[in-house]
Amino acid sequence: MSKILIVDDDADLVAVEKAVLEREGYKVVTAGNGKEGLVQTRKEKPDLIILDIVMPVMDGYLFANEFNNDKTISKIPVVALTSYVESPLDQPVPFDVVEYVSKPIKPKDLVLLVNKYLKKIDK
Amino acid sequence: MLKTEPVAGYIPELKALKARLSVFVRMRWLVVAGIIAVALSAKYLFHISFNLLPVFIICLFLLVYNFWVYLWNRRLAKDDTELVINRAQTSGYLQVLLDLAVLTVLLHFTGGITNPFVFVYVIHTTAASILLSRRRAYELTTIAVGMAALLAFLEYYGVIGHVNLVGFLPVNLYRQLNFVWSVIVTLAVLTYTSTYISTAVAGELRQQHLKMDLLRDKLLKEDEIELERISSEVTRLKDERTSFVRLLNVVTHDLQAPLVAVQSCISYVLDGYAGEVVPEQKDWLQRGSRRIDGLLLLITDLLDIPRIELGQLKQEMADLSLNEVITHSLEGLEIVAAKKGLKLLVELPEKSPVVTGSARRLQQVITNLINTEHDDEVSVAVSDTGIGIPAQDLPRLFDEFYRGSNVETKGSGLGLSIARRIINAHSGKIWVESPNPATGHGSIFTFVIPKKQNKTN
Repeated sequence: MSKILIVDDDADLVAVEKAVLEREGYKVVTAGNGKEGLVQTRKEKPDLIILDIVMPVMDGYLFANEFNNDKTISKIPVVALTSYVESPLDQPVPFDVVEYVSKPIKPKDLVLLVNKYLKKIDK
Repeated sequence: MLKTEPVAGYIPELKALKARLSVFVRMRWLVVAGIIAVALSAKYLFHISFNLLPVFIICLFLLVYNFWVYLWNRRLAKDDTELVINRAQTSGYLQVLLDLAVLTVLLHFTGGITNPFVFVYVIHTTAASILLSRRRAYELTTIAVGMAALLAFLEYYGVIGHVNLVGFLPVNLYRQLNFVWSVIVTLAVLTYTSTYISTAVAGELRQQHLKMDLLRDKLLKEDEIELERISSEVTRLKDERTSFVRLLNVVTHDLQAPLVAVQSCISYVLDGYAGEVVPEQKDWLQRGSRRIDGLLLLITDLLDIPRIELGQLKQEMADLSLNEVITHSLEGLEIVAAKKGLKLLVELPEKSPVVTGSARRLQQVITNLINTEHDDEVSVAVSDTGIGIPAQDLPRLFDEFYRGSNVETKGSGLGLSIARRIINAHSGKIWVESPNPATGHGSIFTFVIPKKQNKTN
């Protein structure tokens, strides 16, 4: 079963995404900020990370820095889910993400997005 | 010392001193020529008998001495320290002293006190008065008169020989005390008077110089203070701008985040994840969802305006292929158009023009223009088959919140205003023609932006 980590400070948004993805049969773990995100990434070793950029405590950029430097986790694909202001062209993100997706995203589109990266892995 | 660079080391007094010293060198060359000319014409034109050899030896000495001074001056010109002013003054003093001695020796071999050129001493003392301090000038004047008197009396008492200018003056004129005294007194009166006048004028000039220097320093200092004030003001405004942009970003994010969450919750229900939705429920949820979409768009558009105005766009600029930008901005729009029963027709040049700009913003312009439903430069024209724009609306079309009087569809009213701001930031122009002159209906929106300057040409 593929495991997805959602790093976002918006609890309601996380709840929706979690519910949608669990419906699809994914195992979903969550983190409320970049710092928790790093802890969860190292502990859970997810197959995909959905990352918010603007977060308290540790934002997506700082998360990216540590993530890049840790070779045990840096190969995990990251999808950046950003609202308008955080869009990559405003400010280049210092790490490779497989895709930028702008919020809000419809549940169907979220499923399509995740399937694109995880469909080859056995659910 | 002053802080400002061009002023450091610039002492007008010193510069003037250097210039005058080099004038003396040039004068001395002429003097040598003059001495030779006068001596030769005295001897051969006026048949005055005296020995030419000592005159030529003195001229030779003058040439060597002057060449040495010339070299010394050149070295002095490169020296810009404050010490140099003392050195230049000492050099000037020694030069005048040596010139006086040379003149005295020359006079000795050409008739002594009886030679009318004895009054040439006045030139030396005047030079000293212009070049040196008042005290030094009077010192040299006294020395000049002293040398003339010494020469006259040494010859008078027979301590040294006397060259009679036979054929020009009565022989033994130098032995006539009345004559000797009258020449010395006249010389003294002339030299001291000239020194008095010259030092007074030079002193006055120096005072003016000093006043000008002080005034210039004062003005420079005022300029510097003003410059500092302006630069700190610029820094303050820049800081303010940066923090304003940051604030805008935070505000945008915080306004959008709850709406995004609400929209996601509604979508969750709408998409059937929370159980089957009956058509009536679906209808109500969709109404709410559409309003949230509109609000999200308004927030984005509204906060876009100051972001573009604040020059954030400049940071996004890069060299772009315009064809690619257009192709990207049309992605997804074809489906939207098809839903409305419209077709997107795209005509692109074979070789894509390159422009310097923000890909995202230009895409935004094109998208905005399409959503409106209506060669050194690149022009992008978007035409539509829409309802056209009434003539009275055209002048205000690009204003904020301005919406055509015949438009029923909803929008924030900011799309065209943002498009205009983006194109302005690209140093371009945007305009609309309605009805489209080519087809007679619909509207045509055109923007032009400059091509990237090819630096190799």
